[in-house]
Amino acid sequence: MLSRVNRLPVGTGAALAVASLLSAAVAAAQPADPPLDVLMRATDDAMRGDSSESRITMRIKTERWQRELRLHVVSEGTETALVRIEAPAKERGTATLKVEQNIWNYLPKVDRTIKVPGSMMQAAWMGSHFTNDDLVHESRYSEDFECAYRERPADGSGHWLVRCIPLPDAPVVWGAIDARFRAQDMLLDQAEYFDERDRLVRTIRYEDFGPLGGRTLPRRMRVIPADDADEFTEIVYEEHAFNVDLPAGTFSLRSLRQ
Amino acid sequence: MKILRMAWRNLWRNGRRTLVTVGAMTLALWAMVLYTSLMQGMLGSMESTLLDVELGDFQIHADGYRERPSIWERIEDPDAVLEALDKTGLRSSARLLGGALVASGDASTGALLKGLRPDRDAQVSDVHQRLDRGEWLDPADASGVVLGYRLARTLGIDVGDELIALSQATDGSMANDLFRVRGVLQSLSEETDRATVFLVENQFRSFFALEDGAHQVIIRSGEGQTLDAAGEMAQEAIAASAPEAEVKSWRDLLPGLANMFDSAQAAVQVVAFVVYVVIAIMILNAMLMAVFERIREFGVLKAIGVSPRRVLALILTEGALQAALAIAIGLVASLPTLWFVTTRGIDVGQLGGTAIMGVSMDRIWTGAVSPATIAGPVFILLFIVGLAVLFPAFKAARISPIEAIHHQ
Repeated sequence: MLSRVNRLPVGTGAALAVASLLSAAVAAAQPADPPLDVLMRATDDAMRGDSSESRITMRIKTERWQRELRLHVVSEGTETALVRIEAPAKERGTATLKVEQNIWNYLPKVDRTIKVPGSMMQAAWMGSHFTNDDLVHESRYSEDFECAYRERPADGSGHWLVRCIPLPDAPVVWGAIDARFRAQDMLLDQAEYFDERDRLVRTIRYEDFGPLGGRTLPRRMRVIPADDADEFTEIVYEEHAFNVDLPAGTFSLRSLRQ
Repeated sequence: MKILRMAWRNLWRNGRRTLVTVGAMTLALWAMVLYTSLMQGMLGSMESTLLDVELGDFQIHADGYRERPSIWERIEDPDAVLEALDKTGLRSSARLLGGALVASGDASTGALLKGLRPDRDAQVSDVHQRLDRGEWLDPADASGVVLGYRLARTLGIDVGDELIALSQATDGSMANDLFRVRGVLQSLSEETDRATVFLVENQFRSFFALEDGAHQVIIRSGEGQTLDAAGEMAQEAIAASAPEAEVKSWRDLLPGLANMFDSAQAAVQVVAFVVYVVIAIMILNAMLMAVFERIREFGVLKAIGVSPRRVLALILTEGALQAALAIAIGLVASLPTLWFVTTRGIDVGQLGGTAIMGVSMDRIWTGAVSPATIAGPVFILLFIVGLAVLFPAFKAARISPIEAIHHQ
């Protein structure tokens, strides 16, 4: 989840670098293709900072139950992150530490830490529609995928659709991702994930664009599994800050237990 | 009486030939008794591991559970189902099944938690007798669990150690709890060895926040009842309490394995048949030799007025005596062998807990002894000897004295 929350999402204001390029394109009635490598890199870097800290509300709705979690997330670089549940009380203190390809869960009820094994990477994280694998994989559109334009907007209110196919040796579980960008500001507002047989697995929608941590970012994202349209996991950013000072030892098994 | 004495004397006129014939019969009998015992033992122990410990004769699941196992697919009122089955006299017990991540220290792996009531479950499964070490579940020790031996090895834990389980409860919250290992099972099947944790029902319910329902009801058929009859009985019994549920026999649940058992029986018989054919040819040869070497002798017997019937009887008696000797020696020889394979067994532990289609063979391969183990080979031996001796015996009985005496 972290990678999606903190990094993968969203074309953004960080696309400022490309803004001048794009504005010319958008202005035209039949816009020219923006350079894809610049766009995808901007998308990759949208949520990236040296470090970040955020408070998130996560709503999960499934066929059988729904619940809401309040999460505190800190991250550093692309490899390390710590997520702690702050509410509800029953699960308060439950935490997940991610360092490189490894995930540990801390369970306050039994006061034990569990390392998540490789075989559980496709299992749900905290009951959400994110998998443990989503936390670990730092795939970047600009590095792990071969992207190409698929559809172009008819006018300034349309969308660009980019199909990204993972490179042969990329550590990606998907068969393809269709990324959709708003023509007006070239921000990613939807990503559809397909399996190897080109069947839709899930859709992530990015909504409520606005200022977040000094950038223009979607403040809400929603994951919808393809096999059950009534289910979703929604993430709402309550607070977010980039480049925060984190005390040494923030990402240790000891701080996980705290 | 005279014929018996004559036959006995005849046998020892060419003692070496008789000894070779009797020796061949003895060896054949001994080998077949041993083979039958070992095959019965292997199939029996695999079948009992499979049915008495793992599957039961029948299982009831909620409709759809087997296609897509999930904690939600439950038999809604298992107590009513069990009660209905009790009335039919079929033994039954309900189990709850749920996947979880189990961990100890840095090691963790996925496992299937099986919740049960120890007293009730003992009526349908012998799993409580198949502990390698430690003790079986006890409702008084709610946090005590029993797990497969390879799972214990994967997690690096043993009796007395703690085990953490992590999953998702039915209310969406994170189910997590600390258990203590009460016992470790013997090698039973791939699935049980590698990925099964048994715990008491109430503990399962509180772990998964699951108040009612069960995922599986295991049924044993009655004494001397056919599988089909018991199946119909069970299906009828649960019609009111769980109309949606499906009753499946172990043959439906594991058709591959059921076929394997059937074909293993057939394979045993094919091998036995081949061995017996070889033995039959050998005995036929010995008998033919014994008769044709003595054509002149039979000619003389006929010439001094012995009737064909008595010649026939004489040769048959000789065959019978040899067979009797072989049976006596063979049985005496097989007693210590049978004792060895049934009590000590053959240690196949070096094969590392060999499993055939997911069902583990015991580490010690022991033979089984039933009346059929001995009676089968003995009757077949008698039958073969009878067949092998009839042809030469008739030939000798019907020979004309003149021809016989001139026979070179």
